[in-house]
Amino acid sequence: MKRDYAGAAPGPASAGSGAAVALGPGSPPRLSLWRRQRLAGWLFLTPAIAYLLFAFALPIVYNVMLSFEQTSPATIAHFTAPFAGLANYRFILGDPTSRTAIIHTFEFTAGSLAGQFIIGFALALLFTLRFPGRTLGRSLIIVPWLLPLIVTGVIFKFLFQLEGGAVNQILMDVGLAHQPIDWLDDPHLALWTVLIANIWLGVPFFTLLLYSALQDVPVEVKEAALMDGAGPWQRLRLVIVPIILPVIEVTFLLGFVFTVKVFDLVIGLTGGGPANATQLITTWSYNLSFQVFSFGEGAALNNVLLVLALICSPLYLLLSRGSLRRSSGAAG
Amino acid sequence: MNRLQRSRALRWLCSLAALLALVIVLFPVYAVIVGSFESTQTLFSGTYYWLPHAATLDNYRTVIQAQSGNILTSLFVGLGTALLALVVAVPAAYALSKYRLRVTVFLVSSLLVCQIVPSIVLATSLFIVFHWIHLVNSYPGLIIADGTYAIPFAILVLRAFFFSLPNELMHAARVDGASEWQTFRRIVVPLARSAVITVAVFAFLNGWGDFIFALTILNGSGIQPITLGIYTYLGNYSTDWGAVMASAAFAMVPAGVMLVVAQRYIASGLTAGSVKG
Repeated sequence: MKRDYAGAAPGPASAGSGAAVALGPGSPPRLSLWRRQRLAGWLFLTPAIAYLLFAFALPIVYNVMLSFEQTSPATIAHFTAPFAGLANYRFILGDPTSRTAIIHTFEFTAGSLAGQFIIGFALALLFTLRFPGRTLGRSLIIVPWLLPLIVTGVIFKFLFQLEGGAVNQILMDVGLAHQPIDWLDDPHLALWTVLIANIWLGVPFFTLLLYSALQDVPVEVKEAALMDGAGPWQRLRLVIVPIILPVIEVTFLLGFVFTVKVFDLVIGLTGGGPANATQLITTWSYNLSFQVFSFGEGAALNNVLLVLALICSPLYLLLSRGSLRRSSGAAG
Repeated sequence: MNRLQRSRALRWLCSLAALLALVIVLFPVYAVIVGSFESTQTLFSGTYYWLPHAATLDNYRTVIQAQSGNILTSLFVGLGTALLALVVAVPAAYALSKYRLRVTVFLVSSLLVCQIVPSIVLATSLFIVFHWIHLVNSYPGLIIADGTYAIPFAILVLRAFFFSLPNELMHAARVDGASEWQTFRRIVVPLARSAVITVAVFAFLNGWGDFIFALTILNGSGIQPITLGIYTYLGNYSTDWGAVMASAAFAMVPAGVMLVVAQRYIASGLTAGSVKG
């Protein structure tokens, strides 16, 4: 790929040493500076455009194609399969597990965001106060974010075991439970367990982003509110939250995007069970495509997920408009 | 209680609350380390031990024997993902921040949208596409797929950084006769070192920790990263917890190393990628 650039670049060896205004010796002389720069810009973009087309555009388009095809294990080798109309989508609508997976995804996402925001914001506020050990605390709080997600899933499976799990042991030692709770195998509880694990996973992200937003609130504003006699709750609600609202919005959106994608955590923790009680769109789609080899049905469910995830993309683009607008002002 | 005493008490209360939060955040990591030294009998005794009970190195012996190759595979995939991310993202981010191109707004919007696309959507299609072009069960296939985590993020973070470089720098280089490539290679890239490290660290962790693409694109024997190695220990009816904990401990090593060595890059990357990007 490096050779691509070399095409736009003049002879490398002597270029820097010549007269100030002259272009390097090997450079095409008729190309104006502006054209040369535009060509260089496009060449710099070539690998990225090629990658985005191959790794994002192609799979997304192909996924749409697949969802209208009658696939079978035998068709995998052929790239295309017979047209199936809306059969795969009709299957998804009629399949009880697909329907509950969609409902679970909504519940799981709403619960995760609520929990992550409340705890994350509380911790972010905590870290803005001065107390011993706050720097160390802040740097260690991101640990969950760095671990492989499948590892997190497996660890929580270990901690939430019925017998010999740390969580049940603590609850019984403290007296909150009289007998071990079946976190993972009780269909009514398992989704809660996955939810707890995901909240644990996402809190650091919320804390870090909200903390850095809180740092940017001008001291004068806080002092002025204090002078005006505003109590802590009033200061938070009427002064601080409005100022950091844009960051809160972005954080929620990113949290949403991360949560609808969750896969590894569930596979490690429950594998979608017991009796599909923790099946999300992602895990059920995996099951349809890679366990049953109904790629068409899996792709149809994928598209439901994709639409769900992309619903918020206009909002995301709107919130990121600062960074988009800056692009038009960039000087060459 | 006077004012001073009250503020001192408040500080201790804050420390206590932060300590409690940290204990909850770090406990799973602690549990893995303790668990990895426990004997099989202890792990199946039905009692949880807060400290190693009859510590043993058996789990590590088992895991080193069974997973050494997988750890090397993960290391290779992580490095490959980081390299791919840099080759694709650094020039692209430079072009998207310092050249006036008509595609810029469209491409940056596309990158923001790419970050939203769930991996299972990509995995399903890529499996069949890779099957067709013989990239299933191969390192290049897995690394290209793992790049989908890292590359949109990398371009956006690096682009935000490049905005902070003054345009005069590039102008000066051009006046001195440097080509566009030389300006990029000799002036821009060295100045962007810290942002490049941030991006490389995250891309490595993405490749190292990937599970979904390993599970789908590597169907069968041959290449197996540590994340898949851990998954195979999870049985339907019984799990070899000792081996799981010891291999989980290995899987956590890069995160630990990065936290110690590259702390500031990690913190800056986490915030830069999402808000300021």
